[in-house]
Amino acid sequence: MRNFFEKTKFYIPHLLILLVIANDSLLINTWIAPGPIINLKYILLFYFCFYQPDRISVIYLFILGLIFDSLQITPLGMTSLCFIVVSKLIYFLKKKRTRTNFQNEFISFVIVLVAVQILTLIIFYYFSKSSPEYSLLIINITLTLALYPLFRYILQFFYRYQT
Amino acid sequence: MNATKLAKSSAVGTAVLKRTFKQKFLTPILIGVCLLLLTLENISFRPIKLLKSLVNDAITYSAFIINLPANFTVDTTKTLIEFFNFNIHQENKILKDQVNKLISEKNELLFFKNENDNLKRILGIRNQGEYAALLVKVIKEDTSEFGKFFSITKGSSENLELGQAVVRNNVYLGRISEVNLLSSKVMIVTDAGSRIPIVIPSKGVNAILKGDGYSNAELLFLPPSASLDNNDQIYTSGTDGIIKEGLYVGKVIVKEDKNKKKKYSVDLGFKEHQLNYVSVLKLKR
Repeated sequence: MRNFFEKTKFYIPHLLILLVIANDSLLINTWIAPGPIINLKYILLFYFCFYQPDRISVIYLFILGLIFDSLQITPLGMTSLCFIVVSKLIYFLKKKRTRTNFQNEFISFVIVLVAVQILTLIIFYYFSKSSPEYSLLIINITLTLALYPLFRYILQFFYRYQT
Repeated sequence: MNATKLAKSSAVGTAVLKRTFKQKFLTPILIGVCLLLLTLENISFRPIKLLKSLVNDAITYSAFIINLPANFTVDTTKTLIEFFNFNIHQENKILKDQVNKLISEKNELLFFKNENDNLKRILGIRNQGEYAALLVKVIKEDTSEFGKFFSITKGSSENLELGQAVVRNNVYLGRISEVNLLSSKVMIVTDAGSRIPIVIPSKGVNAILKGDGYSNAELLFLPPSASLDNNDQIYTSGTDGIIKEGLYVGKVIVKEDKNKKKKYSVDLGFKEHQLNYVSVLKLKR
């Protein structure tokens, strides 16, 4: 029974990220705010990959990216590529830092989020006919960074990792 | 004997080697697949388009199934709120009055429509093509930093095409931006990439309506001499030849800044997240 609960607890983040991706707009981006103000998927992905890099497999990230691209009419493969890059970048940043405190974690998150949005813009520039609204992206990045500590605090109730 | 040969000599060692191989090459392979998919994005090869369309359909309907519990919760809450509405008799009375008023207005409009048709016939002005409305169900709404869309249950199997207007009660909502076999995506008028030609008949002004990416839209290319008033009605002008002319879009809201300079915003004629059924306007051929 205990084994079952542990397995369930292990797979809940997978399910949570899938739900956020399948309905990116469910809570925050439509009911609470009038538009896309926060990137919940990258917050969840970063939190779980930073403390346990092998928790979410690359194949799963690839499939999640395809689902997101298909739903959001973005170039197919763009988000998959971003997710894979994010997971590898987190792994690289984690290896570079000997101490994992909140300061280091937050700096890593800033680097990851900015890098992934730049990658998104490059892909949009080369592979898409439409271009994203830059002001929206800037608001999105700023608010995602500002709200990261709050979401981290909530996630720590359920998944506390040794720092 | 080197490390590889040593590892291969036992079953456990072979398994570990396989795993290492898998981990080492999986990421570059997947990145390669992503880049291949991105390259195929701009190639209009029919089998690839069909495959992509099928994948999109499968994902759209799967997302609908995944969201069923959440949608059920929201719908149940709404139903409960409506059920415990104790002012229902009062509301019914008000609605009856409104219906009577609307019926008289409709009769008046019919008279003007006939008169307009007669005048057009005398002047030799031809009407735009006839449009047929196809009722479709909204599967889900999507909002992200890349766009505002909703998915509908009909696709190319029902002859839906890119650019067709989507309305609800003759109010313009958006246009079709992706067509799959059994589903389509509609770009909402509030999407940052949405631009439609509009007309303000009371002032004889043409302009472009651009979405702001949140829940509103703004007027672009207004003539410098144009002076609009509050509640001026905005309609589609149909100058692009795809969207039907005369669809209601919203009304003008005027605000004055410190220098008494007028600033215009638009109050759209619909509310997002409350769309269950919509109609696609197809040109009759």
